[in-house]
Amino acid sequence: MPQIQLLVVQPTPFCNIDCRYCYLPERTNKSVVAEETLRNLFSQVFVSGWAGDGLSVVWHAGEPLVLPVAFYRRAFALIDELKPAEITVRHSFQTNGTLIDDAWCEFIGECGVNVGVSVDGPRHLHDLNRITRSGRGTFDKTVAGIRRLKVRGVPFHVISVLTPQSLAAPAEMFDFYLAEGIEHVCFNVEESEGEHRSASFAEIGIEDAYYRFLSEFWRLSAAHPGKIHFIREIDEAQRNIFRPQNAGFFNQLATPFAITSMDWTGNIATFSPELLGLKSPLYGDFVLGNVNRDRLVELAERPLLSRMKADIDAGIALCRGRCEYFSVCGGGEPVNKLFENGSFATAETTYCRMTKMRATDLVLDRLERFPELMGGREAARPPGSASPVG
Amino acid sequence: MSLRQKYQTILTQLAPAGAVGVSLALGAAAPAVASEQPAGAQPSAVEKEKVSERLAAVRDAVTAIDQTRADAAKADGRLAWGNWGWGYRGGRGWPNWNNWHNWNNWGNWFRNW
Repeated sequence: MPQIQLLVVQPTPFCNIDCRYCYLPERTNKSVVAEETLRNLFSQVFVSGWAGDGLSVVWHAGEPLVLPVAFYRRAFALIDELKPAEITVRHSFQTNGTLIDDAWCEFIGECGVNVGVSVDGPRHLHDLNRITRSGRGTFDKTVAGIRRLKVRGVPFHVISVLTPQSLAAPAEMFDFYLAEGIEHVCFNVEESEGEHRSASFAEIGIEDAYYRFLSEFWRLSAAHPGKIHFIREIDEAQRNIFRPQNAGFFNQLATPFAITSMDWTGNIATFSPELLGLKSPLYGDFVLGNVNRDRLVELAERPLLSRMKADIDAGIALCRGRCEYFSVCGGGEPVNKLFENGSFATAETTYCRMTKMRATDLVLDRLERFPELMGGREAARPPGSASPVG
Repeated sequence: MSLRQKYQTILTQLAPAGAVGVSLALGAAAPAVASEQPAGAQPSAVEKEKVSERLAAVRDAVTAIDQTRADAAKADGRLAWGNWGWGYRGGRGWPNWNNWHNWNNWGNWFRNW
């Protein structure tokens, strides 16, 4: 039986800004998901038994905060009403931060919503790509939102898209996070998805630049303990490398319905959430069905799902057979394989070379060079440890 | 010294600090920025080994250290420290591979640290 762990719900495709690297095709469309569609989705998810004992719901794929707080009050109440008592639901917003005000902070705090803010660093880096439809930068409004969250004591993380410019500026990025009191950071790279072709991926030396960026950012973070508590790319690489042999692992993005996405009309897709809204000559619009007319549990039997799964599995088999990094990756991200290589049934991508391989290289390099690099550096001994090795 | 022994020696020193301490220590163990090169450009002694072998050796070392700690804790009647603090769960319960990158799961496991 499928197990949904992450449910990505598009409350509206509309976004109030117009980032240059955005892959969402309908971001000028102001439609809003109907309450009946939400009811059909969540009632079926809970009845199906696919939700396990915990479900994360991410409101995304458009700017979620363009809708009023009242919309989410009703939506969350509806979900609570439909939800069996034994299932825990955790809501998340991934937002550009420009609309965050006291009312949002109050609601987010009250409902314990997990908030991610998209901010690309200091003004001159952020405003390179994160702009309004009239071409103006959004830095001031985004930072105002972040400051509101800080003032109101609302926990949040940020996701920053790294471009060639920011990859060359790890210290500036670090100083920005420190200045704004940002403690949890995630780095994305500008990817090729849908119609968007990554300018970063075309840059010569981009993988080395990514390695150097992470390396320096990690060093700066370690030199300022207690400031940055979480660097997703470093922490996940360590988690995947420093694991015992018997740790159970699987690839969420390659497992049917582990991530399930619904657009505002009720269309359902799975695997990489970015697929919903995109089109491919091989798989059409990736839509398995619609919660307003189909039974969720029947979507698992759709021929399109079988075809996509077979190709994704073929791609993973290629990865398993030829990639040195398979044990810390699990076969990559389907959307990147499709839009970089033309098929799910392929292996390596620029995306995985950057985000998986170089991050793994960095952690292994640090581990292996630890004795020589730490020789005599008492100050950097891990707390509670014996004297440094070597 | 085998790769596994090398890693085990290093990790035995690092591991008592837990996940945060390990990250701080490795983060601090950086070469000077100007001379730092990505893997492959300036191979260290072990980089001539395949990445897959290096990763397998790390897992062997982690498993051995875990076992040693578990045995010691059992003998002392203490709780074992448990998998480095990175929040592992047994079986197929948690997707450590390729969580969607336009979201972040720290809210679900960060408290394990």
